[in-house]
Amino acid sequence: MTGEHPALTLRALVKRFDDKVAVAGVDLDVPAGSFYGLLGPNGAGKTTTLSMAVGLLRPDAGRAWVLGQDVWADPVRAKQLLGVMPDGVRLFDRLSGAELLAYHGLLRGMDPAVVDQRAAELLDVLALGDAGRTLVVDYSAGMKKKIGLACALLHGPRLLVLDEPFEAVDPVSAALIRDILRRYVAGGGTVVFSSHVMEVVERLCSHVAILAAGTIKRVGTLAEVRGDRSLEQVFVEVVGGRTATGEELAWLSQ
Amino acid sequence: MAVAVTGSAASTRRVSSRHFVRLKLRVMGNNFRGQGWRVALFVVGSLVGLWFAATGFFLFAAPGLADGDRYALMVAAFGGGLMVLGWLLLPLVFFGVDETLDPARFALLPLSRRTLVTGLFAAALVSVPAVAVLLALSGLVVTAGALGGWSAALVQAVGVVAGLLLCVAAARAVTSAFATMLRSRRVRDLAAVLLAVAAALIGPLQLAATAALRDADWDQFTSVATVVGWTPFGAPWTAGIDVAQGRVWAAPVKLLITALAVVALLAWWSRSLESAMVGAASSGKAPTRPETSGTPVAQFFPRALGWLPRDRFGALVAREVRYWWRDARRRANLVTLAVVGLFVPAMVNLGGSNVVDGTGGFGTPDTSSPVLVSLSMLFVGVLAAVTLANQFGFDGSAYAAHVVAGVPGKVELRARMAAFSVYVLPLVVVISVVLALILGEPGWIGMTAGSLLATYGVGLAVNTFLSVLGAYSLPETSNPFALNTGAGVARSFLTLLSMLASAAAAVPMVVAAALLGDVWLWLALPVGAAYGLGAALLGAYLAGDVLDRRQPELLAIVTPRR
Repeated sequence: MTGEHPALTLRALVKRFDDKVAVAGVDLDVPAGSFYGLLGPNGAGKTTTLSMAVGLLRPDAGRAWVLGQDVWADPVRAKQLLGVMPDGVRLFDRLSGAELLAYHGLLRGMDPAVVDQRAAELLDVLALGDAGRTLVVDYSAGMKKKIGLACALLHGPRLLVLDEPFEAVDPVSAALIRDILRRYVAGGGTVVFSSHVMEVVERLCSHVAILAAGTIKRVGTLAEVRGDRSLEQVFVEVVGGRTATGEELAWLSQ
Repeated sequence: MAVAVTGSAASTRRVSSRHFVRLKLRVMGNNFRGQGWRVALFVVGSLVGLWFAATGFFLFAAPGLADGDRYALMVAAFGGGLMVLGWLLLPLVFFGVDETLDPARFALLPLSRRTLVTGLFAAALVSVPAVAVLLALSGLVVTAGALGGWSAALVQAVGVVAGLLLCVAAARAVTSAFATMLRSRRVRDLAAVLLAVAAALIGPLQLAATAALRDADWDQFTSVATVVGWTPFGAPWTAGIDVAQGRVWAAPVKLLITALAVVALLAWWSRSLESAMVGAASSGKAPTRPETSGTPVAQFFPRALGWLPRDRFGALVAREVRYWWRDARRRANLVTLAVVGLFVPAMVNLGGSNVVDGTGGFGTPDTSSPVLVSLSMLFVGVLAAVTLANQFGFDGSAYAAHVVAGVPGKVELRARMAAFSVYVLPLVVVISVVLALILGEPGWIGMTAGSLLATYGVGLAVNTFLSVLGAYSLPETSNPFALNTGAGVARSFLTLLSMLASAAAAVPMVVAAALLGDVWLWLALPVGAAYGLGAALLGAYLAGDVLDRRQPELLAIVTPRR
């Protein structure tokens, strides 16, 4: 039955922090099997939106469904279908990579034998096997992203929600992460990720939404949003950036 | 263009302590913005502080107001000395230090170490406890003034201010040094050092107090006070009294002793501060760990806990057990608990027996009584359980993993209790056996363990609720004693509340010890264990429901604001 539903549906999500409106009514339909990029400048509300979509942050108003399961009314069902890699959130980083994966697997109620098999495979594919018993806290930024991705993938979710998966990741690790995500989508999964790096989004995504100041400004397939221009041009126009004139900061030149 | 560079260098102004103080006030103010409950907590904390300050003021002013010349020295030396001792030890055990200005944040600024230390020191003086202590001890100025006129009052005022500097410098130096030691991952050495320090500090005081109480001889009291007055603990507080009592020559020497102590403490702080700043940039080389062996799940479970079920509950327990040891902040709590849990009951029961002699029914002089043992176990149990009062704060944003996985609240709370008990239960056995052997009453082992288990159990129940409803975020620094602004007041307040509640719930054990006599020695262990276990499970059951409904809110609260 879940096949008929969109992978992720958001309706009129609103979040206020004190007197500042972070997300002002976001509607979004992520079709199953799509590779969905959520674009936006810093502070646009990407993290807040995704946190509300996956059950990490309670919205002031609005609802969210994962494959037809209401995230806030029936969190257990929705969370089973969902793999999440939040940004700016620590992992239980005083465990080694293998320990962390075992922990996440058992926490999801998985069979220990399955956890062992999948964890070993993930560590191998993500080139984390060499780290041995090094604690995750001592990992590099790229390795932390990779182990975070492994934790999100371990239970074989139908929808993967990733917040800034390519932030602070070196090109080699980024290519590896891209590869794995492509294979995941090709295998019938759905990926939603946030980013402000145009190249990555243009290369990967089938669908794009541009979020600015807490509302969706553009949404559609990559071709629809981009038109005949580059994605960056569209983005800067939508967000309304300014360009330096060369007059200011004169004291910086020697 | 080079002109501009030299111009900016020339216009560099000196950074003074004033800047640090203003920075701290600004950060405090910004933290209050839009957080009504923080303002409320701060106000409550300030009022409590003011109340203590007023009480202290009148106590310290009493010898002057009542013209009690002979008590003045004693009140100053013992009262002030206790104050310094409190500033030394309490941050380690209960309260932590307010690190509104995290030293690591200044690592990249071109500041000399001297500027930094004096600046941070000045900022540390701007706090509710410091102001409260200043107010309380100004009572001594009144005493000195009443007994010796203006000159004595003036000297005493200088002494009180110097004493406050000493208190704050001691707190900072000790917590900072302790934090550095904990980071060095050589915990075994540390535990040994701590035991020695605790013994060294408590021992002499205990002997002095016991001797004084036993003889109740005022002259001996005075001579002890005189000696204390010549140590840094008492020197700042007794300078003015000396002037009032005609020993004018002593005042400058005592002020000099204080000044030297402050300088030494600041130098010590400055050294550990440097390592704290460097440590933030690079926490040193990761320890080489043995090569991987076994499957991920097998690696994850500690060998000693191999019997745990391979499910949610087992995984949570295993992770918590690892965290209590691997996380410096938690480890500090454990080590402190072990030290305090062993020493305080031993001291109370060995030394305090003279005080409550006769109230315990069948106590002969020089031995303790079941009531006293039960009471001291009440203290240890409450102290152990209160360690969990902010258990989700330890996790910080990592708790998101549990929210995403949808961990049931009851399982989570039961597992957390079980994991902490893996460390506490052996401690219970050790404390009971050691205490019974020291007292020469092996028959009391059951009663000691029983009261301890009962208190620990009800304490777990109370603190589980507190950890779900009254959590607060901890800063992500390497200093295990660091707290966010305002959290200091919140933490002390909630801790006090939960300790009172736990203690109240465990009072039946003490009453039983007082009323039942010898039968209780046999009944206490099964009854206490059952009472504690039942309370803990009930607490996990009830608080688990609350947690299920509050998971996202809890996550938001324990996530540090950046």
